Amino acid sequence: MRKLGMVIDLNRCIGCRSCAVVCKIHNSVPPGMWWQRVETVGSQEHMIAVGEYPDLSEVFLPVPCQHCDNAPCVKVCPVGATWQREDGIVLVDYERCIGCRYCMTACPYGVRQFNWQNSDNSFREGFKKAGFDQNWFADKDYRYGYPFDHRTKDGRLVFTLRRPKGVVEKCTFCVQYVDQGLLPACVRGCPGNARTFGDLNDPDSDISRIIRGRNVIKLMAELATEPKVFYIPPARKEGKGGISYEKKL
Amino acid sequence: MKRNFRLAVIMLAAVTGLGLIAWIYQLFRGLIVTDMRNPFSWGLYIATWAFFVGTAAGGLVVSSAIYLFNAKQLKPIAKVASLTAFLFAMGAMIVLLPDIGRPERLYNFLLHPNFRSMLPWDVIVLSAYAVVSAVYTYTLLYPDIIQRGVTLPYVGTVLKRDVSAEQLAAIKAASDRRAKHLAPIALPLAILIHTVTAWVLATQLARPWWYGGALAPTFIAAALATGPAIVILASLFVFGYKKGLEDTYKLLAKVSAVASIIMLFIYYNDFVVRLWWGAGREFDAVKLVFVRYFPLHAVEVLFILLAVVFFIKYPEDPKKLVQGSVSVIVGVFAHRVLLLPPSYNIIPLRLPVVLHNEAVEWPYPIAVGQVTGSLAHPERIFRSFWNYFPTPVEIMITAGVMAFLVLVFLSLTQVLPLTEPEPTPKP
Repeated sequence: MRKLGMVIDLNRCIGCRSCAVVCKIHNSVPPGMWWQRVETVGSQEHMIAVGEYPDLSEVFLPVPCQHCDNAPCVKVCPVGATWQREDGIVLVDYERCIGCRYCMTACPYGVRQFNWQNSDNSFREGFKKAGFDQNWFADKDYRYGYPFDHRTKDGRLVFTLRRPKGVVEKCTFCVQYVDQGLLPACVRGCPGNARTFGDLNDPDSDISRIIRGRNVIKLMAELATEPKVFYIPPARKEGKGGISYEKKL
Repeated sequence: MKRNFRLAVIMLAAVTGLGLIAWIYQLFRGLIVTDMRNPFSWGLYIATWAFFVGTAAGGLVVSSAIYLFNAKQLKPIAKVASLTAFLFAMGAMIVLLPDIGRPERLYNFLLHPNFRSMLPWDVIVLSAYAVVSAVYTYTLLYPDIIQRGVTLPYVGTVLKRDVSAEQLAAIKAASDRRAKHLAPIALPLAILIHTVTAWVLATQLARPWWYGGALAPTFIAAALATGPAIVILASLFVFGYKKGLEDTYKLLAKVSAVASIIMLFIYYNDFVVRLWWGAGREFDAVKLVFVRYFPLHAVEVLFILLAVVFFIKYPEDPKKLVQGSVSVIVGVFAHRVLLLPPSYNIIPLRLPVVLHNEAVEWPYPIAVGQVTGSLAHPERIFRSFWNYFPTPVEIMITAGVMAFLVLVFLSLTQVLPLTEPEPTPKP
C-alpha cells in the first residue's frame, strides 16, 4: 500500500510563492482562499528579514495541508466528509460536507478554508477589488483550473471547479493529478526544486532516500498529528550563501 | 396584564420574524454575511448554543432533585422547570442550524455518523434530553390535563375527562410514580449534555483555551448557575411570588449562588495554573482575556458576583430574585461569548523566533477567505488576529431564536394547565 508524502527542503525555498500561485491556478481556489501559504518566519511582511543587522534571518516556510496520519480533522468530522484515503491523502467530500467547520477548529495548521459564499460571487468580488473594472466574469463558464470534476474510486467528489457554497476545502496533494500518476502542481511548479513527492513506504522512492538518515522536522510534532509533510531545516549558509550537501542523491 | 401580555407576544413574534428573514437572507448569501472567517470559524451561534445547553440544565436537575435528593419544596414548580428544560434543549439544537453551511445535508448525521467525533454524541444526548424533558413535563402535567384539559386557541379545551375524585387520586399517584422512575434517567442526561458539549471543545489540543479537564466542570457549574435562574424567572412569571413558594425560590437561589461561586473557582483556578508558568500558548490565552478582552471578562465576573450577592442576601425579595437571575444570565452569556476569541486568536501553528535577543512565538497567519480593500488600498488576506464582532445578521438570527423560545414558552403557559386551579369558593 502506498503512503504518499512530501518533503520540502527549506534550503532550496526562495520564498517566491510560485507553489501557492500554481496551486491556486490548478485547483481553481477562489479569491481570498489559499491552500498553500508561504511566509517569512517571524516577519510581519513576507520577504522582510527578521532580526537586527548583522544578525538577520530569512527563512521561508511553505505550509500546505500536512495530510496527517492522525488527523484531527478526520477525527472530528461528524459525518465522515473528511477522510484519509488508503494512500494517506486526507480529502474532503464536497457532496457530503455539512459545513459545520469543526475541522477548521481542530486543524492546528490553519490550512482549512471555508466557502463563505458562492464561489461565483467570490470570483466576481475578488476581481473587482483587484482593479478589474469591467465585468471580468461576463463569460460565466470560464474558470481557471483543472477543468473536470474528479471523483475517488468509490465515487466521492473531491475536486470540482465550481465549489459549492458552505463547504470546507483544502489542499488535496492535487488528487486529480496524483490519481493519473502525475505530481502535485506545487512540486512541478517549484523553481528551486525544493519539493519532493512520493511513496513513503517504498524504500527506493526519492522521498524515502531523502528522508533516510536526515534530520527532518514535522510541524508541531508535539501534537502527535503525524504529518506526512516533512521539512529539511535550513542550514546556516556559509560563504556566499552556498550549501554543501553531504549526501548525493 | 392582558394587554401587556399581548404586546409582549407581538414584539416577540416580530423579533422571531426578523430573525427568520435574516436566516433566509443568510441561506441565500452564505455565511459571508457573518463576521466569522477562516481564522475565526465559530462565533455567536456557537456561543449561544453552549449558553442554551447550560440553561436547559436547570429544568431536569430541579425536577429530578425532588425525587433523588428529596427536595420536596421544588415540587410545585417541577412542571414549569421541565418545560424550560425542553425548550432550551430544542433551542440549543435550533441555534446550531444557522451555523451550518449546508443545513439541507444534515441527514448525513443519520447516514454516516462518525462516532469518533464528539458532535454526533452531542446531538444524541441533546435529543435524548429534549425527549426525556418532554415526557417528564407530560407525566407531571397528566393529572392536570385530565382535570382541566389543554386550552387550544380557536379549538377550545380538549383532552379533559370527567373522572371521579378516586380516579383522579389514582392518576396522580401513577404520575408521581412515573416521575420517580424518570428522575434517575433525567439527572445523568442533564449532566451529560454539558459534559459532552464541553468535550466538543475540550478535546481540541490545537486550542489551548479549551483543552483540558477544566472545561466540563465549568460547564456544569455554569449550567447549575443559570438553570435555576431561568426556572426562577419562569416560575415567577407563571405562579408569581405567592405563599408556599418562598422555600422553593430560596432553594433555587441558593443552588444558583453556590454553583456560581464554584464556577468562578474552577475558572480562576485554571487561570492561576496557566498564569504561573508565564509563557506559552496556555498563558497567552489567559493574557488575551485580561488584556484584549478585559471588558467582556469584567462583565462576566461582575454580573455573576452581583447575582451571588442578591441570591445570598435577599432570597426572599422577588424583585431582587429577578435582578439576580437576569444578572447571572447576562454574566454566563458573556462567559459563553468569551469561549471563542481567546481560542481562535491564539493561532495554533506558532514558531519560535529570536527578536531583539528575545525568544518569541510567531503565529503563522491564516487566509481569511475573502478579498477586501481595493487595488490602491489592499487589505491583508493572511491574518494572525481576527477582531470578531457579530454582524447585525448574526445578532438578528440569535435574537430571533431567543425570542422564539420565549414566545413558545408564553404560548404554552396559556395552553397548558400549569397553574394550580383557582380554589372554587365553597357555597
